[in-house]
Amino acid sequence: MVDLVVIGAGPAGMAGALAAAECGLEVVVVDEQAAAGGQIFRRTPESFGGSRATRPYRWAPDLIARFDAHPNIRVLYRSTAFGIMRDREGSAVRLNVGVSAATGGELIPAKRILIATGSYDLPVAFPGWTKPGVMTVGAAQTLLKSQKVLAGRRVILAGSHPLLLIAADQLLQAGAEITEIAFARGLPRASEMGAALSAAPGHFEIFAEAGRAAARVVSRGVKVTTRTIVTAATGGAAVTGARLTQVDPAWHRVGPEREVSGDLLLLGYGFSPATDLARQAGCEMRWNSRLGGWTVVTDERFASTAADIFVAGEPTGVAGAEQSRAEGRIAGLHIAESLGSSASDHPRLLRRAHRALSSSGRFSAVVQAMFEPNREALGHLSDPEGTTVCRCELVDSGSLDTALRANPFISTANAAKLECRSGMGPCQGRYCEGTVATRVAAARGIAVADAGYFTAHVPVKPVPLSTYRMLGSTSD
Amino acid sequence: MSASRIPAQRGPTVEFEFDGDPVVAHEGETVAAALLAANVAAFGIARNGEPRLPLCNMGTCFDCVVTVDGEPLVRSCLRDVCDGMRVTRNEAS
Repeated sequence: MVDLVVIGAGPAGMAGALAAAECGLEVVVVDEQAAAGGQIFRRTPESFGGSRATRPYRWAPDLIARFDAHPNIRVLYRSTAFGIMRDREGSAVRLNVGVSAATGGELIPAKRILIATGSYDLPVAFPGWTKPGVMTVGAAQTLLKSQKVLAGRRVILAGSHPLLLIAADQLLQAGAEITEIAFARGLPRASEMGAALSAAPGHFEIFAEAGRAAARVVSRGVKVTTRTIVTAATGGAAVTGARLTQVDPAWHRVGPEREVSGDLLLLGYGFSPATDLARQAGCEMRWNSRLGGWTVVTDERFASTAADIFVAGEPTGVAGAEQSRAEGRIAGLHIAESLGSSASDHPRLLRRAHRALSSSGRFSAVVQAMFEPNREALGHLSDPEGTTVCRCELVDSGSLDTALRANPFISTANAAKLECRSGMGPCQGRYCEGTVATRVAAARGIAVADAGYFTAHVPVKPVPLSTYRMLGSTSD
Repeated sequence: MSASRIPAQRGPTVEFEFDGDPVVAHEGETVAAALLAANVAAFGIARNGEPRLPLCNMGTCFDCVVTVDGEPLVRSCLRDVCDGMRVTRNEAS
């Protein structure tokens, strides 16, 4: 049995694993990518030179290097943690992490688990969003930075997150043409700018990096519009353009639609915490729209409500790489302490991590407040007849509404899932939960939070049956 | 959508098969990146006949799944290419 299994090798997972390993714990880390760093620090493969961009996060190269080199940390890359299973032996409960890789499956018994699964681009359903050529802005960025592939030639970017500008800058530098960048929100208000400035100390480089990217994009003459939302991806089999329309401050349509052309439509409305594993493990969840929607409840040690399971980084609320690193480190230190292996300067390390946490918290609070997506308005983008809500099971908004009319007792996203199969495909509801919940909420006149969330089951991601056959052989 | 490789250092070339057609790629590329760069029109076909290409490129959406050497539902964004690999389009059932 290992002391700690960490799921995710992004800023939170690396910091948590390293803090625990430096206290003497034996740590196994499971990550789906080929190298450490998480989505934010994706690097090129070894055969491409293994380079990685870490600006503006000055601490990143050191964190990654120490994580990679620590003898107490064993990392399983290209591996998926698909479930947390409990063995009950009398009153004792043993935790196991089910892991699947191309080479097979294994069950890893662990004294503690740290879930640091990060976040993913917030999915928004609208007519045409299943067409080839519609991608998340994160997809285009990771293709570019880790694979040196430019996903399209003429690009339309739409959403509400400042990441759109940074991505646009990267795409331009790689040779793309950008037709338009459409922001659903307006320009930041004076009060928001004031709050941003007061949070800037200590985060100047992040602001500066974003500012430089925006300036470069504007200087290239790219059309940047505000209060403009994408209502459809147009084209035949593949995207040839997008329909855009003017919206009011509540993101409700006020103008006629116009069409822009492009072969790639990138969406960036912010991020959803990846909480499927935490849900499956029985962790209590809490709704917080600013923090990304459904987040995992933790105490100040980043322990979840499920015994011996800690959660750090974006699953506790989307707050960026700095805060994820601080949370991971605090969790790692407390995990070590709970197993009786504290470092000699434990209190000092904890104080330092907490200082980093409150500093990053001031910054992320500003970003969260300024760029919170209007979920109710985004839900209405799926109103048009025949709009696919569930990409996997092909459930459209009309059949969802019909089911809601026929079953007046259904008032939760989960009940709608059971009735319509929306959320039962390979993605396990990650891409339709938000739309289903907002449609249920609108139909019943309740808040999105009260429509609840999809429950998660083992396996949280599809794994081959052969993986299950191998689960009998546990590693020690 | 017309994807392309940008100038950069890459690994040696490898050749694999997609639906019987040869695809030239570079060691270190994911199947998704290689198929996008080859401008494949569909990684998969949904039950209603619609073509699908990757949406998230990070392993969460499953729109990029293909069959690799007989193994179904392989996320092509998380699988590296290798010489002689036989990849086929995902047909939703």
